[in-house]
Amino acid sequence: MVEQRGNQNAQSLLSAWIESAAEFWGSMLQNWTQPDTANDDSSPGEKSRARESFETVFNSWQTLSSVARDPGAKEAFTNLGQAMPELLSQMVQASWRSYYYLQQQWLERAGRIGETTQAFTFENLDEDVFKAWTEIYENELKKFFYIPQLGLTRNYQQNFTAALDKYQRFQNQYAEFMHLIFLPVEKTFKVLQQQLSDLAREGKLPENSNDYYKLFIKILEGHYMSLFKSPEYITAMSKTLEVLEDFVAARNTITQDILNTLSMPNQKDLDELYKELYHLKKRLKILEKEKSGSQGKAHNA
Amino acid sequence: METPKIPVDLILTKLAEDTEKARTRVQKASDILLQELDTGIAQTAYETVYEEDRVKLKHYQPTEAVKLKRPLLVVYALINRETMLDLQPGRSVVKIFQDHGVDLYMVDWGYPTRKDKYLTIDDHVNGYMDNIVDFICEKHKVDRINLMGICMGGTFSVIYAALHPEKIKNLVTTVTPTNFNTDQGLLHIWMKALDADRMVDTFGNLPGDFMNFGFLLLNPARLMIDKYVGFLENMDNKEFVENFIRMEKWIFDSPDVPGETFRQFLKDCYQKNLLIQSKMNVGGRRVNLKNITMPLLNFYGKYDHLVPPAACELLTSKVGSEDTEDVCLDTGHIGIYVSSKCQREFAPKIAAWLEKRDKDEKKSLKKKSGVRKKVSGKAAAKNKSSTRKRKSTQQSALRGDTV
Repeated sequence: MVEQRGNQNAQSLLSAWIESAAEFWGSMLQNWTQPDTANDDSSPGEKSRARESFETVFNSWQTLSSVARDPGAKEAFTNLGQAMPELLSQMVQASWRSYYYLQQQWLERAGRIGETTQAFTFENLDEDVFKAWTEIYENELKKFFYIPQLGLTRNYQQNFTAALDKYQRFQNQYAEFMHLIFLPVEKTFKVLQQQLSDLAREGKLPENSNDYYKLFIKILEGHYMSLFKSPEYITAMSKTLEVLEDFVAARNTITQDILNTLSMPNQKDLDELYKELYHLKKRLKILEKEKSGSQGKAHNA
Repeated sequence: METPKIPVDLILTKLAEDTEKARTRVQKASDILLQELDTGIAQTAYETVYEEDRVKLKHYQPTEAVKLKRPLLVVYALINRETMLDLQPGRSVVKIFQDHGVDLYMVDWGYPTRKDKYLTIDDHVNGYMDNIVDFICEKHKVDRINLMGICMGGTFSVIYAALHPEKIKNLVTTVTPTNFNTDQGLLHIWMKALDADRMVDTFGNLPGDFMNFGFLLLNPARLMIDKYVGFLENMDNKEFVENFIRMEKWIFDSPDVPGETFRQFLKDCYQKNLLIQSKMNVGGRRVNLKNITMPLLNFYGKYDHLVPPAACELLTSKVGSEDTEDVCLDTGHIGIYVSSKCQREFAPKIAAWLEKRDKDEKKSLKKKSGVRKKVSGKAAAKNKSSTRKRKSTQQSALRGDTV
């Protein structure tokens, strides 16, 4: 019932808009097409090209608006308008699902605040948030970048959307990597706090602020050494490099496409040229050596 | 939890005193930083005697009378620049060699561009290095020269000496990685996880900034924080500031590494460790370390986090030479060259070691020319074995800068 009322409202709005637009442009055309004998130097019956074009457009518009006034046509238009947002609503739904999933992860993480940490160990690294986001992206969002492209420029569009996907993956992985890099700093502050508490209990707290700094740096250095040897870090480092390489390759593809359209040599062309030059130079050096060798032999003979 | 009793009042008093000192320091520092500073590096005069593509050969004339029959060719790594050997007056390995009468040549690998991406280890070793060695031999009318390699340049020198032993009289390797099957250094652990093919196919040459970032990550606490805190604490000292800036200039002056060279170095050395096993192929020829029959002096740093001792110390046991010596210094990767204490021992020791072998050669030549009877094949082999066998490892008591 409510939907029917909504449809009727949309139809009546559409009709009203078409009618008012037709009236407005009709009056504009009338004013323009009235002969102005005072300023017009053209011979009678002769019209300007601009006026002719405008008349053609307006006549087309009048035809369209008369069709639109037809009740059957109005319904067809409103149905079309309703179908368009379906794709959008799918995207919004996917985003909402993802957001709820992330919120769960954040709540879990918030619950872990206040737990103690063990110095110089990096087990159970707090990377669930990044894993969650990566999962969401791979399962829900990535597919939109690979919707098949159509048309003459489909290849360029495809390269562009692929680059966007690679960029997003790089950003995800880079964020995870940087989080890992800053983990020792967080742990160091926690460990420092614990150590200072122990020192205070023993009454051995340093008085010099420089000593606090030296303690901080020593703990931080130890944490970084432990982290950098861990398999988690090595995996993250390898993955980050991989996605960076993918993104750079995708970006280079786009750059090459742009340079091609500007009729300028791109990196691939230059690399091929460099390779040919390299082989030519190498061959030349071998020939020079052979020649000097044979000349030497001839001289000795 | 019991509230810790922190002597806040004492800390604040100390902080107030430190703040006053800091204020004075900052005032002085601003005067220093705004004046003209002497931060030039590689100031020792040289002549460029040979050029091939991006590669140049520098010649440093000795300041004393030439003591060695054969010149010394120094081959630096492709990573960073050879200017480190001539960082500043008073800390210049080049100057020390000159003052010891060494006729010194140094390879300047230049700055590779995209067109150098296809250059391989073979091109560097059997191409550029071989041409340079031939040039020096022809110029000095000698059949062999002395060769010294540093870090990756040392690896190249080892490969060259194995492939062209007839052109090298004595070999010196410093902080040279030859055995990559170790987890002592972070670099060795990380390199095993890298995909060389993807990196080279994506980037072409390995960007210098990328490598710099990697080196900084080896110890971010010291190299990215503590180092600059140290600078802030000493920035009212003009000499310190100048030295610091010189080091900064050098350390971040990183050329790119040609892609194909990096690919083979990473795969064959770091990942497969072929060199120390004498299984590495360069230019279609196998690099057999047993072919290194000339005297070998091998330096490395005990606290070297880039090329740990385990990566260096195996070489002397794998070569064919009977005259080898390992010297482990109490310093880091760069400390050997820039630490003033190490400098007093390092370069003079090399000069003395080379000079001794020069004299030994002269003596043996005199002996040979004095002997008139023909020597048979067996007797000739016996004469060779009379060369003193010396395999010793020497721990230096020096304590230099650790890096």
